[in-house]
Amino acid sequence: MIVFSERINGMYRDVRAAIPERNKQLIHQLLEKQLAGGADVVDINIGPSKGDPVENFIWLAQTVHEMTDKPLSLDSAKADLLVQVVPRVRQALPDTKLVINSCTAARAYMDKLIPIAVENHTGIIGLTMDQDGVPGNVEKRVECGATFLMTALEAGMSTDDIYLDPITLPINAAFKQQENVIEGIRQLALINDPAPHFIIGLSNVSTKCLLNKLLNRTFLVMCLTAGLDTAIVDSADQELIDAMVTAEVLLGKQLYSDEYVKAWRMQKGLPTGC
Amino acid sequence: MTIPEAKEKWTGRVNPVTLGATKAEGGTRGRAVTIGGADGIPFLGFDGQTPHPPAIALDVLDKPPAEWPRPLAEVYGDVWSDPAAWARRAKELGADLVNLRLVSTHPDEDDRPPEAAAETVRAVLAAVDLPLIIWGCDVAEKDQKVMPKVAEVAQGENCLLGAATETEYRTLAAAAQAYRHKLITLAPCDINKSKQVNILVSDTGFPLTDIVIYPTTAALGYGMEYIYSILERGRLAALSGDRLMAQPVILDVGYEAWRAKEARATGGDADAWGPIAQRGPAWEAVTATTLLQGGADLLVLRHPVAMAAVRNVIRQLSGA
Repeated sequence: MIVFSERINGMYRDVRAAIPERNKQLIHQLLEKQLAGGADVVDINIGPSKGDPVENFIWLAQTVHEMTDKPLSLDSAKADLLVQVVPRVRQALPDTKLVINSCTAARAYMDKLIPIAVENHTGIIGLTMDQDGVPGNVEKRVECGATFLMTALEAGMSTDDIYLDPITLPINAAFKQQENVIEGIRQLALINDPAPHFIIGLSNVSTKCLLNKLLNRTFLVMCLTAGLDTAIVDSADQELIDAMVTAEVLLGKQLYSDEYVKAWRMQKGLPTGC
Repeated sequence: MTIPEAKEKWTGRVNPVTLGATKAEGGTRGRAVTIGGADGIPFLGFDGQTPHPPAIALDVLDKPPAEWPRPLAEVYGDVWSDPAAWARRAKELGADLVNLRLVSTHPDEDDRPPEAAAETVRAVLAAVDLPLIIWGCDVAEKDQKVMPKVAEVAQGENCLLGAATETEYRTLAAAAQAYRHKLITLAPCDINKSKQVNILVSDTGFPLTDIVIYPTTAALGYGMEYIYSILERGRLAALSGDRLMAQPVILDVGYEAWRAKEARATGGDADAWGPIAQRGPAWEAVTATTLLQGGADLLVLRHPVAMAAVRNVIRQLSGA
């Protein structure tokens, strides 16, 4: 399982304020917890922070990179911003693995961002939606996912650099859509061999829900059974990570041992508390 | 669209582990032997490389064995009252390593003291310059006294010491680390326990890269398939990046194969099974060559004919 950490995101008020203030300390404090929890990739998003968005993005990428060599996921819904930011970050951090988060399967978006991914040797997250918005069913998700996958492969990308995101919506706002996500992953996993990665923005499922953490970890485990292998999560949520590792053991993706959670942490080089 | 590559893409690799230390490395061995290092399925050259072919150790006991059948007595009977002479025989026969078993320290055998065991190890080290694998008597309480002493007299020789288990690992791991030896971790026919023992040993500060896994062994006709599937799963875990299962594997084939009645029985029905001189080596060789396919890096054997057959198979399967 590849863990993208979600916390360095300007949608959180503390991060949003820290960016224009160039408050590295706060970013590093948050990041340290995400890394200690087991993050493999750090997702960064400037949110609606004040100031020049390109400069903000570069600053945030460099600030994160000061603490870790881990890959960065450059997160924005604005394709035009990513078109500007990705080459700049690539130039500033030539040896860091990057992932573009994200691009829809709408032709205009793919034409803009897939070439940027190829030129800058980055991975890319493809959303299973197009100009018509988020599909309300499985079929359209599969259609969009297949379109995105084929377009990226034809542009010369390898499946290992392609992440399909079947789009997670909150349970309190979008009933039935969670089932569609799971079935979407299941069907998309069959259309290409080797399969691309499948990713979800997990916390979306529980936005403004009281029992958000319980919803998060339950939904993560459900998606894992369908073939999810990547997720953007709060990696500092230990119960979530423990549930994820447990599901992987039960699915036979990791070898069981009595201390399998500790084994997982040892392999990641994380503190094991002993 | 092009046809996708059929070969597996592995992220992990079996740790290479070097046994024995030459003069330059602070020991007195003539040469060191490296096992492991594979980054693909055994003998599938297109899948990955096996930089070090499986090594073979021959058994040496520290007292004359009571129950070794005639084909083995014919090879070792004249030397088996002297472990040093026996070890020299093993070297003459072409072993890569000597597998020394301190069986006489067993409380129900001769209950020999740690000092006597240490003396035996010293004598064997002086007699041959091959790397050594050294086992206690498999009684934890006694081994905890014997093995630290043995580790001490073999200091710097980079021996392989056996065996740490889920309940008894601290003393042996400490001795191996203090006197710079490698360590065998043992979990009988249980891959999950095998991983757990490695976690426990690693927790003591012992490096995961200095461990060799012993999943126990079963001979042809006596549950070999259980061990085979454990080898296979362990190897796939290692190649998939599980660092707690990335250790090379030792198998005690000689001991198990020569326990089989097919290898040792004479008279009655057994006479129809073929000449006793061939049955034992054949049982040993078939067990060894089968288990090698599952992923094994160090084989302990007994009969030179079996050793020759196994080497021949390794050579042919490696395309060398």
